[in-house]
Amino acid sequence: MATIIKSYEPTFWDKLYIPALVQGLLVTFKHLLRKKVTIQYPEEKLIPPEGYRGLHRLNKDANGRIKCVACDMCSAACPADCIDIIPGSSPWDDGKERYPVSFEIDLLKCIFCGFCEMACPEEAIELTEIYDFSDYTREKLIIDKDGLLDVYDKTKDKNYYSNSQNLTIKE
Amino acid sequence: MPLLKIDDLEIEVKNGTTVLEAALENGIDIPYYCYHPALEIVGSCRMCLVQVEGMPKLQVSCNTFVGEVPPERKVDGNFDMVVQTQNDLVIQERKNILEFLLLNHPLDCPVCDQAGECYLQDYSFKFGNAHSRFDEDKRVRPNEYLGSQIVINHNRCILCSRCTRFTREISGTSELFVDERGYSSKIAALEDRPLNNLLAGNVADICPVGALLSTDYVHKNRIWNLQKKSSVCQDCSVGCNIDAFYQKRKIFRLNPRENQDVNGYFMCDIGRYGFHRFEDLERVARPLFKSNGIFSEISWDTAIEKISNKFNGAEEKVAGVVSPFHTNETNFMLGRLIKGIIGTFPHIEDEEITYPSGFRISSDRSPNKRGMHDVCPSIVDDLASEINDKEIRVIYILDNEIDKEIDETWNKILTKMDFIVVQAYAMTRLAKSAHLILPGLAPFEREGTITNDQGRVQWLRSVLPNNGESRPDWEILNLLYKTGERFSDINELMKGMGEQFPSYSGMTFFKLGDQGLPLNGNLKT
Repeated sequence: MATIIKSYEPTFWDKLYIPALVQGLLVTFKHLLRKKVTIQYPEEKLIPPEGYRGLHRLNKDANGRIKCVACDMCSAACPADCIDIIPGSSPWDDGKERYPVSFEIDLLKCIFCGFCEMACPEEAIELTEIYDFSDYTREKLIIDKDGLLDVYDKTKDKNYYSNSQNLTIKE
Repeated sequence: MPLLKIDDLEIEVKNGTTVLEAALENGIDIPYYCYHPALEIVGSCRMCLVQVEGMPKLQVSCNTFVGEVPPERKVDGNFDMVVQTQNDLVIQERKNILEFLLLNHPLDCPVCDQAGECYLQDYSFKFGNAHSRFDEDKRVRPNEYLGSQIVINHNRCILCSRCTRFTREISGTSELFVDERGYSSKIAALEDRPLNNLLAGNVADICPVGALLSTDYVHKNRIWNLQKKSSVCQDCSVGCNIDAFYQKRKIFRLNPRENQDVNGYFMCDIGRYGFHRFEDLERVARPLFKSNGIFSEISWDTAIEKISNKFNGAEEKVAGVVSPFHTNETNFMLGRLIKGIIGTFPHIEDEEITYPSGFRISSDRSPNKRGMHDVCPSIVDDLASEINDKEIRVIYILDNEIDKEIDETWNKILTKMDFIVVQAYAMTRLAKSAHLILPGLAPFEREGTITNDQGRVQWLRSVLPNNGESRPDWEILNLLYKTGERFSDINELMKGMGEQFPSYSGMTFFKLGDQGLPLNGNLKT
């Protein structure tokens, strides 16, 4: 059986409205005296917490070469199917046989779940703290191998947002 | 017939069957590496150990034969042999064997091309330990080329000796052998005789791990990205059964598919790498009409109308050229359409090769010569002189092959023609000489039946999707018929073909199935 809920009947005290007004203003003045939490984006940037999943990067090894071996584990694990790898035999002959000839991530498809970095056996792909990478065309949001390696260079010191260079507003 | 008990299953098997074969046939899974149905039994991997009642130690099931025993020695007074494949002792022993096999095997599945179809990977996952107890350094050896197309990664090799047995027994060339002894054993090719025979590609297929690799496929793709479709090889008239692995619009590799009546378990390298010549072709995607020496795109309707106009009234003056590279259905349609004369291209002959195992590469390097002659019995021998005699001015050609030179006789024929129609999938030399090009399908796009030189009809399945506006070859010819004479689909067409040629009657794709059927009347049943 359905229950009938009666609407709230305002009392005389409620109908005065002035106490409610004072209550509300009290909250406002309380916050006026507290420390401000607003960040003046984009002049100021929020530094995300450790473990934040933002833009991807492809790591480099000690010799400065791409760590990825194009094993396709990330694209197999990817639920959004946004990673496209073309593998090939590597130009180096010191044991690293395989490397990605092309490595593309469609950032518009990506859901930033982090499965790719979990699947990676070489710790080659990682999600960084970068969250502001909007652009004007869809094509520019397909990031390729060089782009991903650039992200590594920018974020390897973990100071992407504290680094003043990156704080300048791009046109 | 001996009565065999495997686990809970009681089966009667033929005298002399091995336990492994009996188990596999009856759906009991016993892991194995060195056993291959086409090769001699060696029992070197020890992976298929089972417990046989009455025997003190575990036995390799691939080399344990079941035979009739005298009544007083029967187990439980009933069974000739009782085998346990899943008990604790067997499972523990599998674990131990895998630990030995993995001693020197690198953990490089991410870069190994076998990953995903690797028996070592599968069985390690199923039976093996999660951690290695081997603290010492693994043996590391550099990769080596065994032949021009085959690379060996010694680190991954488990020395099952399938490849050496293959070269000894199937190709009969004996290039591979196990070099050195014990811990230093490795697969090697004879110094003066590298692995360059035409069956070499098969050793990469039969390798149960990623040790032998075909340079054609190495680091190209991962197996789980590829889709598989069964088809038939079109590089000689043997018609080996194949599996084509493709992704999107590109074929990555061809593997042989078992068919005991045609190719056994193997295929030759001509067919294996033959698909590359259809890549990067200048494809014809829409009907093209030549005016003033320049081709321009026209619609299908206009193209068909133009041909019908030429054909109408002069039906006796049209020559048709059928091709041994096309399916029976296409050739039949053209043969039925053309009232004038039917000719074909000169045959592509090459060396006939037969290996000691009976594996054969036919001298006829076209897939469907026999089928073509079956469904077009009126093919003339000397097309050029017949054309002269009958004063033929219109010719309809099913294009034969890519990049074929046009020889003298053909040049003469072509210059005489007022109107040349070529049904092609690429801009071949022949297509360039045409007045009208109709875009048909490339070899791995076609569907239909082909007949091999032994008279076996096989289902040629399309692997790749059609390109652009191109249409199936039989469908194009279907459009040239009068409305009442057309077939509604390919099944109707096959029925019609059977009515005219009784040896093909009763044929359907469903009946042909994966293995095909011989022509000698078996199609009807």
